[in-house]
Amino acid sequence: MRYLTFALGKGRLAKKTMELFEQIGITCEEMKDPATRKLIFVNEALKLKFFLAKGPDVPTYVEYGAADIGIVGKDTILEEGRRMYEVLDLGYGKCRMCVCGPESARELLKHQELIRVATKYPHIAKDYFYNQKHQTVEIIKLNGSIELAPIVGLSEVIVDIVETGSTLKENGLQVLEEVCPLSARMVVNQVSMKMENERIGRIISDLKSIL
Amino acid sequence: MYKQILHTPEGVRDIYNGECRRKNKVQDVLHSVLQSYGYDDIQTPTFEFFDVFSREIGTVPSKELYKFFDREGHTLALRPDITPSIARAVAKYFTEEDMPVRLCYVANTFINHSDFQGRLKENTQLGAEMIGDGSVEADAEMIALVAESLLKIGLTEFQVGIGHVDFFKSLLRESRLTEDLELELREFISNKNIYGVRELLEPLPIAVGLKEAFAAVPKLFGSVDILEKADACAVTEDAKRALERLKRIYELLACYGYEKYITFDLGVVSKYKYYTGIIFQAYTYGTGDAVAKGGRYDTLMDHFGKPAPATGFAFVVDRLLSALARHKLLPDTKVPKALIVYRASQAEKAVEKAMELRRQGIAAEMTPDRIGRDYAAYAKKNDISEIIYIEGQDLV
Repeated sequence: MRYLTFALGKGRLAKKTMELFEQIGITCEEMKDPATRKLIFVNEALKLKFFLAKGPDVPTYVEYGAADIGIVGKDTILEEGRRMYEVLDLGYGKCRMCVCGPESARELLKHQELIRVATKYPHIAKDYFYNQKHQTVEIIKLNGSIELAPIVGLSEVIVDIVETGSTLKENGLQVLEEVCPLSARMVVNQVSMKMENERIGRIISDLKSIL
Repeated sequence: MYKQILHTPEGVRDIYNGECRRKNKVQDVLHSVLQSYGYDDIQTPTFEFFDVFSREIGTVPSKELYKFFDREGHTLALRPDITPSIARAVAKYFTEEDMPVRLCYVANTFINHSDFQGRLKENTQLGAEMIGDGSVEADAEMIALVAESLLKIGLTEFQVGIGHVDFFKSLLRESRLTEDLELELREFISNKNIYGVRELLEPLPIAVGLKEAFAAVPKLFGSVDILEKADACAVTEDAKRALERLKRIYELLACYGYEKYITFDLGVVSKYKYYTGIIFQAYTYGTGDAVAKGGRYDTLMDHFGKPAPATGFAFVVDRLLSALARHKLLPDTKVPKALIVYRASQAEKAVEKAMELRRQGIAAEMTPDRIGRDYAAYAKKNDISEIIYIEGQDLV
């Protein structure tokens, strides 16, 4: 039997995923050791391999077949636009992709005005403004603390993930429009899905039954 | 300056020595299979008028084509795919022909992907096209060719997944979705995103049976039994006909003896506009993408003024090679080879010896003797089995 390789987005997502996997009998003791410096974790009995990767890299590993299965947020899937199968909504990591800004910016979204949009997700922002709102905008790519941009005058609005909205509120910003809901998804390489149909199919149906 | 000039641009590369030999060898094997089915060679130009690869015809979005202008200002494009070129050539040179035209080719294709994706921009494709035969036997022949070629180069763990574009298309027609919704549905189905399909269709006024069929389509892939399961979803006449055709293809492939390599996937939704009937891809372990792709394209020839049914496929040779490497199945390209080391005064004798060896079918390399050279190491590195020294009177 061949190894099935899982790429997990680092952090909370990975922890949640392993908890979920445990319920369907997929375990990996090696991963639980907090002091470990290993990069790849193996379950020899089930012939499974796991590794952790930065979120945006997970779709890349899966597209090229370096991982058969990936667990990653919908935001990353939309932003990366890779060719792969998106087979399951795992239901956790729920949040929303939103256009946010000060109340005064609401007006700017109603007309075809050229505004500046700061975001960590240029593809999602561009797709939303160009293809859904048909508004021409200037996109500014930032790598973190997106909320800063409208406060210091770098942009009029931002496109970012909103979970509770408390960071926004504390900084005098609010959700102006919702782009799409987000949650953790399971993605599968297109060739793996065919070559390992039986094993992957079983994992999917097992997960479905407990979700 | 020198250092700059030594680099190749992103997405293209040099292939040399052993790798190049193995690539040629693999191509030879694949080519010999195509020839054994009666396919004749064709070469088309590396670049053509842009219109040949335009949106209505092509497989590659315009922004990913390498485009440039000729002196008169026409837009030209490096070929991203060979099939349109062959369709053009057939429309031009085989207009009188009423027998099927069988052609095969090996050629490089160029697609300007975005950078840093680890994808090559220049790829070698080796493929075959049959124009003028709309029969199910022609479809089966294409798939048999793929299976036979892969077996000939030593691959045994592979699958050819076959789908039929009419199956999904006819369901779409029946549903009368708006173009936007249709695009969205296509995206969900091609991503096998079942809950996305359900969510999208839930609020729409479409027959329940049809909704169920759409939700089932992403799951309709696997071995031949899937065709039986698909019967329930074939709510239109066209979908039924598509299934019948696939079943017949399976029977024919059983006759070739290749049925165990065949799987079916009714959820394939081609983004290629030109496919009109069956569509198939060959997969194997060790590569995340298909090693061969093909299908039927009965309307492509219309664009060139000679309507004719047609079908074809192509191997992506470089991807196939990397899959073979992972399977440790690369072909042996060793040939008996000798190195002749000679003193300058003995050049004639060296030439005679070399010619004699070559007549016997042994490759002979000549090199003048120079002090301090390590011939044994060179021979080892280059798979040379014998070193012959020709020095002065004491000739070997």
